[in-house]
Amino acid sequence: MLHQILWDSCRDLVQACLDHPFVRGLADGTLDPAVFRNYVAQDAFYLRAFMKSYALALARCEDLSAAQAFHELIGGALQEIAMHRDYARSLGLDLGAVRPNPACLAYTDFLLATAWGRSLGEILAAMTPCMRLYAWLGQNLAPCAVPENPYRRWIETYSAPEFEQLAARIESLLDSCATDSPEVHDAYRYAMECELRFFSAVMPGL
Amino acid sequence: MQQPSWSDSELILRAGRLWTEATWSPFLDAVADGSLPEAAFRRWLAQDYLFARGLTSYQAIALAKAPRDAHRVLIGGLVALDRELEWFENHAERRGIPLGERPHPVCRAYVDFLMRSAYTQPWPVLAAILFGVEASYLEAWSRLTPAGPYAEFIERWSNPAFVNYVNDLAALARRHPHPDAQEAFNQVLVYERDFWRMAWEG
Repeated sequence: MLHQILWDSCRDLVQACLDHPFVRGLADGTLDPAVFRNYVAQDAFYLRAFMKSYALALARCEDLSAAQAFHELIGGALQEIAMHRDYARSLGLDLGAVRPNPACLAYTDFLLATAWGRSLGEILAAMTPCMRLYAWLGQNLAPCAVPENPYRRWIETYSAPEFEQLAARIESLLDSCATDSPEVHDAYRYAMECELRFFSAVMPGL
Repeated sequence: MQQPSWSDSELILRAGRLWTEATWSPFLDAVADGSLPEAAFRRWLAQDYLFARGLTSYQAIALAKAPRDAHRVLIGGLVALDRELEWFENHAERRGIPLGERPHPVCRAYVDFLMRSAYTQPWPVLAAILFGVEASYLEAWSRLTPAGPYAEFIERWSNPAFVNYVNDLAALARRHPHPDAQEAFNQVLVYERDFWRMAWEG
């Protein structure tokens, strides 16, 4: 399956994400709350671009079952945005005033440039890494979702079966709409590189 | 009435120190005194080629959104870009520099910014972006004397025809102002600064 080939080709980046100080901090609950706040703000900005990219992908669908899948994925993205709104409220953040940092801007510009101008397969290759990576991180961190971990809710969101279903859904779309081409490999890998840089960009000194 | 010079543009004046940061670089100093390491030159040429490819796509989309009074300047610019790509290809071939490499993340982020803007921003913002791209290049290269091993490169982005083109772009940006133009212009300068840094440092 193409999604598996692509994921396997990014094992180095995926492992670097799991080992990243940001993710380690979520796992053991020691992440500086100011860093998490910054992350939530940047991620909220990112998710809006992600949702728009789904919509632009949907606009390319001739096949109604693929359109239905995108419809569900947009619903998932909107739920994630709502979760960030709750986080933002509890953290006293104004998500409307967020300025993207350079890594976030590069990632969202890549997503939107791809979504507006490239093929459905390339759009899916650019969007899948975020979904699969977060499901994988969530499942790896699941044992850390203990009551005293302040980041329990984040871990529970991404380790939930519902999120796994969304990740599997976009992977099956990728398998049916994309071809095993250099462009698809490149988009997938670049998106995964963006994921790693996204974590580093919110950590001071990295 | 004589057209004001591109260098009097409000966009440049309001960009402050970003303008200087985008147009001065140790890379250019090394071009000027002929001490540029071969690896830096090769990296710059390959990445600048990829950037020029991206800019061509950007400009084509901008043209599709542009009003009639901008067509001649933009179409002329596209013809010049086509010649520039060919010129890059010839240089690369002569020097054995592969052009099909993966873009550096800085080059990629810059081109993605251009393309996202092309698709989502209104024409006046696109005009400010294009002026920023070309004016900063003109400023950066015109500081150098066209002499030494890279004279041909310096000449390419400081000659009178290029000055005229940048003046025309400045006039377009002036005729079509927009509240979001400055922010987009400044973002171009950030990427220009980072691009020179990448060419120099790798």
